[in-house]
Amino acid sequence: MGRMLEDASKTILKENGIPVPGHSVISSSEEISEQHLRKPCVLKALVPVGKRGKAGAIKFADTVEETKTKADEIFQMTVRNFPVEKVLIEEKINIDEEWYVSITIDPQKQVPVIIATTEGGVEVEDLVKDAPEKVVIYHVEPFTELQPYQAKEIWSKLGVTGKPLVKATGILCKLYQVFMKYDCYILEINPLVLTKDENVMAAASVMGVDDAALYRHPELEGKVESGSERSWRPLTQLEKEMVKVNDADYRGTARYTEMDGGEIGFMCGGGGGSLLSFDALTNLGAAPANYTETGGNPPEEKVKGLTKGILSKQGVKGLFVAHNITNNTQIHVMARGIVNAIQELGIDPQVFPIVVREAGVNDEEGKKIFQEAGITYFGEDLTIEEAAAEMVKKMRGVS
Amino acid sequence: MSILINQNTRLAVQGITGREASMIVSHTLAYGTKIFAGITPGKGGQYVQGVPVYDTVAEAVKQHDINATLIVVPPAFALDAVLEAIANGIKLIVVTTENIPQHDAVKLLYAARKENVTIIGPNTVGMINPKDRIKMGSIGGDRPERCFVPGNVGVISRSGGMTAETSWMVKRAGFGVTTCIGIGGDSLIGTNIKDLLVLFEKDEETEAVVTFSEPGTSFEEEAAQLLKEGGFTKPLISFVAGKFTESMPEGTVFGHAGAMISGNAGRPSLKMKALKESGAHVVEKYDDIIGVLQTVLGSKVGEAK
Repeated sequence: MGRMLEDASKTILKENGIPVPGHSVISSSEEISEQHLRKPCVLKALVPVGKRGKAGAIKFADTVEETKTKADEIFQMTVRNFPVEKVLIEEKINIDEEWYVSITIDPQKQVPVIIATTEGGVEVEDLVKDAPEKVVIYHVEPFTELQPYQAKEIWSKLGVTGKPLVKATGILCKLYQVFMKYDCYILEINPLVLTKDENVMAAASVMGVDDAALYRHPELEGKVESGSERSWRPLTQLEKEMVKVNDADYRGTARYTEMDGGEIGFMCGGGGGSLLSFDALTNLGAAPANYTETGGNPPEEKVKGLTKGILSKQGVKGLFVAHNITNNTQIHVMARGIVNAIQELGIDPQVFPIVVREAGVNDEEGKKIFQEAGITYFGEDLTIEEAAAEMVKKMRGVS
Repeated sequence: MSILINQNTRLAVQGITGREASMIVSHTLAYGTKIFAGITPGKGGQYVQGVPVYDTVAEAVKQHDINATLIVVPPAFALDAVLEAIANGIKLIVVTTENIPQHDAVKLLYAARKENVTIIGPNTVGMINPKDRIKMGSIGGDRPERCFVPGNVGVISRSGGMTAETSWMVKRAGFGVTTCIGIGGDSLIGTNIKDLLVLFEKDEETEAVVTFSEPGTSFEEEAAQLLKEGGFTKPLISFVAGKFTESMPEGTVFGHAGAMISGNAGRPSLKMKALKESGAHVVEKYDDIIGVLQTVLGSKVGEAK
């Protein structure tokens, strides 16, 4: 899943005929001039996370001086782990009412769903629970566009009438078109503003694009933060290096996430097997230093690069290697990659605890490679949890 | 008996000439599963490992009475492949493709629901019935016997790899399996745990079911609801992996795309609670599957067919 920054999503909305406030992006308060201040303005931290208002990262200003001061304040901030590098300056709009509309995919019904309300400034999830009559939840059939009458009915049910109804209807149809056209998994306008002069405008937008669909959207190149599903903080240096290791060869996957602290290098797979392995270690009181999944039959170089990365993190005192019994990942290739990595790093498995539990395709040969390198190897003789217990036992000697 | 696949399955492979398919086809044929036809546009008239290739699903159905298809095509072609299979009356479709755009997944699942077509996946390792030696997908790899031996336990897994590991645990406990299904790692899939429990309930040979779950989705909560309503009355042994993810920041995905926790939805602890309250045997440790299976099916040790 890939989130877009707000200036990029607003530009797309504008290109598609949806009114948005005039906006520009600055990297330093020095760039602020009179031309930004033809009207009072709003300053927003440009970071790929929500709830900026609560974090104090949205501010208002009326003069150039005030704007500079407030921009500097925002540039000092780190919003939910993201240091602010850019600030969005927008014209302040004359708000009469704040509404909300979002388009996502309903995971239960497996169709697109529009959620709309004219109650602004509240958490929509709470509103659905506390005052469901104030929210319209509308499912749309795939393979069709949202028809104007459908959009009209949504707003009409919420009590919108007159000129705002006509405007809001047109905007919702266009928002749905944007949602479909750019393969969004979320398009949220909060607030959708009714202005004092009865116009409707998208004052803030969140647009997330399915990165599995980016191949058919060359126009979004560079605008979407691909792989931002682990986005509670920016990637660390080591994580960035591991992304490179993974991207260097299309075969197999190697994903690496650093944990805070930890002692055990964690080299596991696949998707479910790594969850189980991590649980197994933590249940025994051990602390993995990272979370890694590898699978899909990765080549030797990728395994080697990933292993080296895992072992390079400070404080790592051992290595746990485990997979579920593989359907296609070749154990002897895994073995070569891992053994090469530890030999290149000059690690001696006699003193540095390593436990391997790998069974599946070509495991006879894999076993030989591991054992010849002096590594403790288990195949089908132990379950994953039993192997984790062996690992924890071995760690006692070094912790 | 088994569910979904048996001796009457007449299998075709869409995308049979691709790189991905060649290994699956050779393993499948070696296992003894007959593949009646393959489909790749522009490659009609060729043969892949002895399997005749057609340009269209229509021709394959006409020549071979195909009633199940395995889709092994790249993401950009998956939606069209599924629509083609549905349009030609095929009622069982296994979609192996990973990274299908969500909007395409929504469309193909919608089209399948309208025509009462069963979709397994997308992003699935597939399923296997070892008694009839039939498998659809990469499941089992080159040596399905290692993990999948005939018996009386059904296996449902949200992880492809753990479909094998969990079936191997069943074998280690002294039993075997009727049908094992990897339902796919995505959140948008055609057949979820509850749907399969309904089928296992009707299957006379299946005496218990083991499930492997992960964070995210509401599949386990829906399964628990089914148990509460009396829709599944056999022993259900459930394991939910990824409890550690609950202490990670919200919105983080570990494992599969479907494994997203948002607010309280998707938390392993709540899934376990719901399943426990509905009467399922929820194991805290994965290894406990062995002991619980032996207790539940105790009297039947040695009788596994």
